[in-house]
Amino acid sequence: MIEEIFFLLVFPGLIAAVFFGLLYEGLARKISARMQSRVGPPVWQPFLDFVKLMSKENITPRNGVGFLMTLCPVVAFASVLSAIVFIPVADFSPAIFSGNMLMVIYLLVIYTLCFAVAGWASGSPLGSVGSIRELTLLLSYEFPFIASLLTVGFMTGFTVSPFLAWHFPLAFLAFLASVMASLSLPPFHVAEAEQEIVGGPLAEYSGPRLGMFSLAHAVKFWVLISLGAVMFLGGGTIEWFLVKSLFLVIVVAAAKTVFARLRIDQSFRLFWLVIGPLAVIDLIRAIFGIWV
Amino acid sequence: MHEFTLPIGPQHPALAEPIHFRLKVDGETVVGAEMHLGYNHRGIEKALEGRQWFKGVFLSGRVCGICSQSHTACYSQGIEKIAGVAIPERGKYSRTIFAELERIHSHMLLLAVAGHTIGFDTAFHYIWRDREYALEIMELLSGKRVQHDFNTIGGVRWDISEDHIQKISRNLDKIEQRAKHYHKIFTKDRTMRKRLKGIGKLSARDAEEFGVLGPIARASGLKSDLRTSGYSAYGHIDFKPVVGQDGDCMERFLVRLKELRSSVKIIRDCLANLPAGDYKAKLPLVLNVEKGKEGTSRIEAPRGELIYYIKANGLTPERVKIRTPTFANFSCVGKILEGTQVADAPVTIASLDPCIACCDRMTIVDVNTGKEQTLDHHELDHLFGREHEHD
Repeated sequence: MIEEIFFLLVFPGLIAAVFFGLLYEGLARKISARMQSRVGPPVWQPFLDFVKLMSKENITPRNGVGFLMTLCPVVAFASVLSAIVFIPVADFSPAIFSGNMLMVIYLLVIYTLCFAVAGWASGSPLGSVGSIRELTLLLSYEFPFIASLLTVGFMTGFTVSPFLAWHFPLAFLAFLASVMASLSLPPFHVAEAEQEIVGGPLAEYSGPRLGMFSLAHAVKFWVLISLGAVMFLGGGTIEWFLVKSLFLVIVVAAAKTVFARLRIDQSFRLFWLVIGPLAVIDLIRAIFGIWV
Repeated sequence: MHEFTLPIGPQHPALAEPIHFRLKVDGETVVGAEMHLGYNHRGIEKALEGRQWFKGVFLSGRVCGICSQSHTACYSQGIEKIAGVAIPERGKYSRTIFAELERIHSHMLLLAVAGHTIGFDTAFHYIWRDREYALEIMELLSGKRVQHDFNTIGGVRWDISEDHIQKISRNLDKIEQRAKHYHKIFTKDRTMRKRLKGIGKLSARDAEEFGVLGPIARASGLKSDLRTSGYSAYGHIDFKPVVGQDGDCMERFLVRLKELRSSVKIIRDCLANLPAGDYKAKLPLVLNVEKGKEGTSRIEAPRGELIYYIKANGLTPERVKIRTPTFANFSCVGKILEGTQVADAPVTIASLDPCIACCDRMTIVDVNTGKEQTLDHHELDHLFGREHEHD
């Protein structure tokens, strides 16, 4: 009983997820800042941002729906936090059963849906455009994301368990691209494009609501990085896990630095015509057991 | 999908200055665009009327933070023309050098902003960093990074020494090298090509009809470059305007990238042939220009042709009218925005290199009658004074 509570609340649950999520976001920001030859914020900046946002007031626009605007970030946070339970972070995992990979996929989609609903609930044209873009992006990256996970899933019996997928490089590539899109990082940050639609769904958000969304985003970052470290890089004990997840953070930070933003139609085409087929090649190889 | 209106500005992350666009949007496609100016009216033309000639030059530089040297050069050139002042050759060359430095820093600023508006922040940070090379030279010559006040009536305020020339040529080498690098990035980078190629097209015919100027006209294939008329020292320098042909966003940025290198070449030529002698004409501290004399002065600013009209009234001007290039370039904004995607709107606007503070004019529109009316100083005082009391 004590052990389960520890799993849920401390590691790899609530506290660890929030801590590592915010820390990794800070790290990614710092790395990309150094690559852009600027100093960048301190690594703990996301923590400070979160505390600041939680101490400010919520503002509901005149034609916004206050109830939904509060509910969406909370549900989004809850869903990504639940997902961590199914991932054997550093070989700890409270919920390993066959098919728990599908749970992770479902829970991650809930975050995106909340994000889109949040945009509409805020009653701003910028939010609406952002929501449409977010859902269009979901339709484009979800297929390669699932295909790449299924590739490994065929090896592990659809369980999220450590697997070193060195013979599925295409699936790994598709996974990384979908992670970039799923976290709305460049080149797939159309939904939040601040130069066009001022943060999209988050345009009207402020205070604790925005704080909850930033926390949910950080935890989602941690979930996806852990998922990659476990399912593609083989997980391992706590030291190995940290090394592998840090490697992924560096890859993500580098990728976010070197690209310009693609338009939504261009992202859609890229995912369905290039990245999707690449993922399918590895999926077919996994199904028929063709690898060297 | 039903149409709705997407506001961009007056406060907006993509715009550093207050301007308001209303984009009529069908899904992601822009079907109509409206533009509203007038959030930043400062009344500089009016203020110039009360200032003595030498003081006015400082004020004219404050019209724009980026092309302050063009404004001072244009105003000084106009005053020299109507007062009949001859500038020494060294002064002319110095002015040309500074004008080209300003073109370099202004173009680099825009190219960085272009990167930012398409979500390529890395390009933004790199180009912004390398712009410092130009600012360093300007600081060396004038003591200031921005708002240089380098020009004065009859020449320039500071001389260019031998020590300066060495430092300048070192920085020019770096600028040239980086400009080549950025040319490669803009033409080779896939995401950049995808976002810029074929966006916001303006044909040569349209460019001519809208009367656009500067790099935008040149990108559409018009040979619109006032420097060929040979004012300042341009007449003595071997120089060919950069002309593109495609007229899309990519071409507008490429024209500017090529101009970076042509500017470096002009500065090098000027430094090599810098004549000896005075750098400014000897003039009385209080200049008196015969009342009623008038004239126009034209200069190729980084954004296009800048025009000053000046009418003298003895110790001060009686009227100064400024026509900034952005004001002319904005005429085509509806045309190039129509049919683009919402995502392309910021970069399309940015490709015009808008300098908004330069072109704010005050016009009051009566909502009930739709009648437009331009107010003078006293009426404005009256209007705002009364409103204040109501508060």
